[in-house]
Amino acid sequence: MAPIIQIQDVHKHFGHVKALRGVSLEIDKGEVVVIIGPSGSGKSTLLRCINRLEEFDQGQIIVDGIPLDSAENINSVRTEVGMVFQQFNLFPHLRVIDNLTLAQTVVRKRKKQDAINNALMLLEKVGIPEKAYNFPLQLSGGQQQRVAIARALAMNPKIMLFDEPTSALDPEMIQEVLDVMLNLAKEGMTMVVVSHEMGFARAAANRAILMDEGMIVEEATPAILFSNPTRERTKLFLSKIL
Amino acid sequence: MATSQHFQPPPVKTTPKEINEKIKFDRWWFLLMGVILLIIILITFKPDPFRRILFFVSDGISVTIFTTLVSFVLVLIFGLITGLARLSKITIIRGIATVYVEVIRGIPLLVQLMFWYFAFPSVIQSVGQALSIPSLIGYRANPIFMAILGLTFCYSAYMSEVYRAGIQSISRGQMEAARSLGMTFVQSMRYVILPQALRVILPPVGNEFITLLKDSSLVSVVAVADITRRGREFMAANFIPVNTWVMVALLYLVLTLFSARIVNWIEVKTRLER
Ligand SMILES: Nc1ncnc2c1ncn2[C@@H]1O[C@H](COP(=O)(O)OP(=O)(O)OP(=O)(O)O)[C@@H](O)[C@H]1O
Ligand SMILES: [Mg+2]
Repeated sequence: MAPIIQIQDVHKHFGHVKALRGVSLEIDKGEVVVIIGPSGSGKSTLLRCINRLEEFDQGQIIVDGIPLDSAENINSVRTEVGMVFQQFNLFPHLRVIDNLTLAQTVVRKRKKQDAINNALMLLEKVGIPEKAYNFPLQLSGGQQQRVAIARALAMNPKIMLFDEPTSALDPEMIQEVLDVMLNLAKEGMTMVVVSHEMGFARAAANRAILMDEGMIVEEATPAILFSNPTRERTKLFLSKIL
Repeated sequence: MATSQHFQPPPVKTTPKEINEKIKFDRWWFLLMGVILLIIILITFKPDPFRRILFFVSDGISVTIFTTLVSFVLVLIFGLITGLARLSKITIIRGIATVYVEVIRGIPLLVQLMFWYFAFPSVIQSVGQALSIPSLIGYRANPIFMAILGLTFCYSAYMSEVYRAGIQSISRGQMEAARSLGMTFVQSMRYVILPQALRVILPPVGNEFITLLKDSSLVSVVAVADITRRGREFMAANFIPVNTWVMVALLYLVLTLFSARIVNWIEVKTRLER
């Protein structure tokens, strides 16, 4: 079976900053891939290229058999790919429930009641059904991020992208979000996660990738990459964050 | 189905009573009352000339209100279009919008109104002559139409800046989150960005409305029989400038103070609804 995400030699420049310099990566359905790397190494840019929040200059990305070329394809890819951001990016003017139903009704054209039922089911799943009718800013950071995950899941995506989902959280709230992600991984969701949470990577990831200066430096299972890396660059980076 | 029964949407958070209370304590209503009272006193105790003036200019009140409201609705629409154009990624669209805004803001409104009423029709007529199109040769400017056109053209430029600032005040992550859920640009604007931006821009939009209301007095020079023009006509016929212009000023004051209170009321209401 073809990989669900195929990234082929992708380059991306911002002015004269080279954010990505020839990244190639294939991710299979159901795989969980964790990306680590120093700040500015292009991790976010790579994720954002996968659902075309960022356009790339060169190379190709094929998601679930759909190449990202026309605007139509971009939108159909985006409905298949959920994204969770560091800053949550919940819609502050809408109640939690409406955050979850908006795209379902507008994009997926679901009936309002179906969307609501789906949303309530997902809120139950991420452990905060009682917050359905609150506004996002009335929730703690951890709760907000769980709502953001539920909002992405409400579109029934085949792939979930996480860009440092726990780095904006107070330490005591990190685990509740990681638990939700762990469950997702167990259910077989294809996930690409930018995160330095080693515990999560070891528990959930099939592969860990180290990026530096817009390139993939090394990839291996988390166990090997974290404890027995072959590249000097990887050792240096790990010695800094551990 | 079963799950939904556990969750009842709580009642609307702010009761109308609370909102009313806020309004009651808005002391500026008293100023408006005071001005209205003053007008009543003047026309009651000094009907000559105040009652005469009021009757004479009263048909101008509806003209002023009509011109202002119609222009404002158009300004809300074209201002939004221009504001979005100024944020466009497409250089040509952004360029055109920017030139429009800069040019319009650099020319006095009075001059613009003169242009639309006096110059524009004669441009049309010349074009008609050049192409021998009879309907264009005989073109006559309709004062109200040209006044509304002029006000709209000018104020849309200013309003576009208000929209632009409002939209830019919403963090980029909001658009990205909406797009990543598969929403189109238009859907993201409609459901995510604009509702948030509207809250931010409400005060400056209200301010634009009141300024427009006052600037609408300029249309009196292009043959629109608004409050100001009716005041001038009355003065020309009766030579009592002080009384006339006091009355005209009081009428404008009633309109602007009232508008300011309404703007404030909408603001308080939207703030409490959060
Ligand atoms: N919108 C942008 N405009 C200009 N430069 C950008 C933009 N986005 C990213 N960059 C640059 O591209 C490079 C890669 O950025 P990216 O955000 O992908 O790094 P990252 O690995 O996610 O870093 P961090 O760990 O800090 O989030 C950096 O040098 C960054 O400054
Ligand atoms: Mg990043």
